[in-house]
Amino acid sequence: MTVAVPWQTGNIVGPKNALLLTPENCARLLKAAKRPLIVVGAHATKPSVGLPDLIEYVLRLAKLIKAQVAASPAVQSQFKSSGSQQVFGLGLEDLTNRLNDKQWKGFDGKGGYDYVLMIGGVYYFESQMLATLKHFAPHVRTVSLDRFYQPNATFSFSNMDLGKWKEGLDAMIEELGGKD
Amino acid sequence: MDGTPARISIKQLETSLVSLRGLEVVLGKVVQDDWDEKMGPTPYPSVTTLRSWDHRLLQRYEPFYSPLCDMCCLCTYGKCDLTAGKKGACGIDIRTQQGKIVLLACLMGAATHATHSRHILDYLIKKRGRDHPISLGEEVILEAPIIRTVAGVRPKTLGDLEEVVDYVTSQITQLLSATATGQESNYLDYESKALHAGMLDNVALEISDIAQISGLNFPKGDPNAALIDIGMGVVDKSKPVILCVGHNVAPGAETIDFLEKEGLYGQVEVAGICCTAHDLARYRSGAKIIGPLSKQLMFVKSGVADVMIVDQECVRADIVEEAQKVGTRVITTVDQICAGLPDMTSTSAESVIEQLTSGKQRAVLVRDPVKVAQIAVKTALSIAPARRGQTVSKDEEILAAATKCTLCHECRRACPNDLEIDVAVNEARSGSMQKLLLLYDFCMNCGRCVSACARHIPILDLLEIANREKIKNERFKIRAGRGPILDTEIRNVGRPIVMGEIPGVVAFVGCSNYPNGGKELAEMADEFARRRFIVVASGCSAMDMARYNDENGQSLYEKYPGDFDAGCIANVGSCVANAHIIGAAIKIANIFAKRPLRANFEEIADYILNRVGAVAIAWGAQHQKAASIGTGVNRLGVPVILGPHGAKYRRAYLGRSDKDERWMASDVRSGRSVYVGPAPEHLMYVAETKEEAMVMAARLVMRPSDTSKGRLIKLSNYIDLHRKLFGKMPEDFHLFVRTETDLPLGMKDVLLTMMKEKGWKPKEIPELGSTILDRLVSRKV
Repeated sequence: MTVAVPWQTGNIVGPKNALLLTPENCARLLKAAKRPLIVVGAHATKPSVGLPDLIEYVLRLAKLIKAQVAASPAVQSQFKSSGSQQVFGLGLEDLTNRLNDKQWKGFDGKGGYDYVLMIGGVYYFESQMLATLKHFAPHVRTVSLDRFYQPNATFSFSNMDLGKWKEGLDAMIEELGGKD
Repeated sequence: MDGTPARISIKQLETSLVSLRGLEVVLGKVVQDDWDEKMGPTPYPSVTTLRSWDHRLLQRYEPFYSPLCDMCCLCTYGKCDLTAGKKGACGIDIRTQQGKIVLLACLMGAATHATHSRHILDYLIKKRGRDHPISLGEEVILEAPIIRTVAGVRPKTLGDLEEVVDYVTSQITQLLSATATGQESNYLDYESKALHAGMLDNVALEISDIAQISGLNFPKGDPNAALIDIGMGVVDKSKPVILCVGHNVAPGAETIDFLEKEGLYGQVEVAGICCTAHDLARYRSGAKIIGPLSKQLMFVKSGVADVMIVDQECVRADIVEEAQKVGTRVITTVDQICAGLPDMTSTSAESVIEQLTSGKQRAVLVRDPVKVAQIAVKTALSIAPARRGQTVSKDEEILAAATKCTLCHECRRACPNDLEIDVAVNEARSGSMQKLLLLYDFCMNCGRCVSACARHIPILDLLEIANREKIKNERFKIRAGRGPILDTEIRNVGRPIVMGEIPGVVAFVGCSNYPNGGKELAEMADEFARRRFIVVASGCSAMDMARYNDENGQSLYEKYPGDFDAGCIANVGSCVANAHIIGAAIKIANIFAKRPLRANFEEIADYILNRVGAVAIAWGAQHQKAASIGTGVNRLGVPVILGPHGAKYRRAYLGRSDKDERWMASDVRSGRSVYVGPAPEHLMYVAETKEEAMVMAARLVMRPSDTSKGRLIKLSNYIDLHRKLFGKMPEDFHLFVRTETDLPLGMKDVLLTMMKEKGWKPKEIPELGSTILDRLVSRKV
């Protein structure tokens, strides 16, 4: 197992750390997801963290893997061109609390989620939400799609710069059959 | 109460049963209860007295844990890995261990406030006497609402507060023992104990503040308390400067007294950082406030202070070291911070002054506020002229260090807020300070970047150079902490708050660990004041709210009146003055609603939970004290919103708006079970952004017993804020609509159409309100 250093170097959590994924491997993993949820955090389009067009990436990814999308209320309004994709707005702590609950039937009432993909969150806050799911939601696998290694996720990308990350997201989308 | 011990002496007694000679019985205290209010059900509650109330709350607001660490390292069995269902060697699981850690945090906070109350009380009793009256002014008859509600006593003198401190400290010991290995084993009971610790903390706050208001004649609920200078640039550097850091005002107040006695007041600058600064400004309006905790390191590193008096709480562990580097002489003053320094409490003041002045000692421990004052003033006067002449610029050296930056990113990765320090420092290599200039308002001055830098670049010094002009001119106005909310103010606003016509009370409290700088706090407070909420503030938050001027050059305290009323912003004072915010909620229940408060915690809390639309925003909560204050407030039924760093407290109390069964309460009149949810939706919630916090605050002020007019006003604010900040209608507004009369009139048709699509059905509003306490039901069906 390859272990990375958390983006915030002090965020050492314990023996169980996220497995490192390349974007290509991530694509293969997501093909197996039956009912994925993409969770978009408040820093999705913040220059030093996210990408100006990250919302478009999320929508493309959601379409490819048939995922539902939930967004931190502060970014929900940025999903202006979401087309037929419904974007649910809910505070991430409230959402994490529901994801903890195996009986929760999801936003559409049709059942819980097997994969939760987090992207664009405030790093340390997202880390804490992932910690909750790691400990209390064994029915959920979590994937951090951020460019910062999140040890509390089940799977995470390694730390990378914006350029590499963008390339990686492109590669993942392509692997999922979404080449423009 | 009369504190005089009673002595019963029997020289000789002969009866058929007993024969006594020379018997003497001494009673420590005789309680003369002249309070006409009947003793309530829970005087001086023990660890388990209020357990059923706690469990009722926790049933609705379940603890939500987000572990900061997967390990337990509290005993020699460990380290134990508790990840995802694993148990430790003692049998503990992660949920229970998190409950234990939360309790420990709350106990640290409560113990700190209890110690503070003991210190200030001992000092004031020595200074004023045990019989010195507790007086908060003619307009505050209900002077100790928390103590009355919890302990069931009505303290009249400083001496009366001693038994309350004893109660708090003994309960803290009881609770602490429950955290040892092999003790408490259930997470809900850990939470019940944390709630108890929080309540004890709140009692300690009140002891401290009513004692110091009475003993030091602080403002007594004055909405027009003096406007005070605040900012990094407020100190007149041409004068000797004494800086007070911490929370215990005693040595700082004595310093001012000494200066006045010697005719030197005004010739020496007395300034403060953190809550001591608040309290110095409450003592004398000439005292200056540098700022909150986040300004501590940068100001001390500046070397402006000739002498630094360190008291207690929120003092950086390296501050003595940093002060000594710049030639500032340091006097620590309490048992809690000995800092490895020689104890010179028993040494003559003259000798200590000589040693500090000569440099033989550069920092000392003196545990006597009166002596500290004399030493501080005389030392400052003695060394200031020479220090002014010694100022040597190290700018070139610091700027040269920036050229060593390799853009390794370790500074950014060490930064709690992920600030782009790396880019800013790297840019400084080429002489551009633009990015460092921009960082200033967002940096919390923790110094982690400096420690992380492998090239030893003094990043905070660089930040200071880049922002020197800004810092020099940083000067704002804050209103001195007014202390209590007047009984008359409660009479005026009680009804509109409970009826909902005033949309709510929003309290900005806590520390300065903000995710995006302090300006967000001012923006939030401004928005709520404009919406005619009652806005109150304390501690670091009250300071940071002042540190931004509007387009007219006014701070919030100049812009808004300082009353406890709609559309006003009231600064109550330091952390311990939080007692008055909590007390205001209790006073509404007692003064407006006539609920008996004496030893009647559950009923008062039930009233607040169901009727008083108050919420606290602790946007930069960092300290364990903030955890204990907030948890105590939660036990009383007031929700708290934390900033994103608050997730590292590891626990929130979350409701589930989608689970109707959790929102059932009893109709007060009939006892029938009624749906009252989801209001208030959460008890402790972590928001990711300022916008989320604001909208959440507008949700959390809703209460089951809102009148329709009140709910309409609250709903209008919720919808309007949501649209303004998120650009769309809230998807869940219908959850808060009970009947059509709750709907804002201008939007009624649109909202009704939306509600129809969501399958909304009207809900019953209990005529006399609802309760989650069975004993408060008038007549059961």
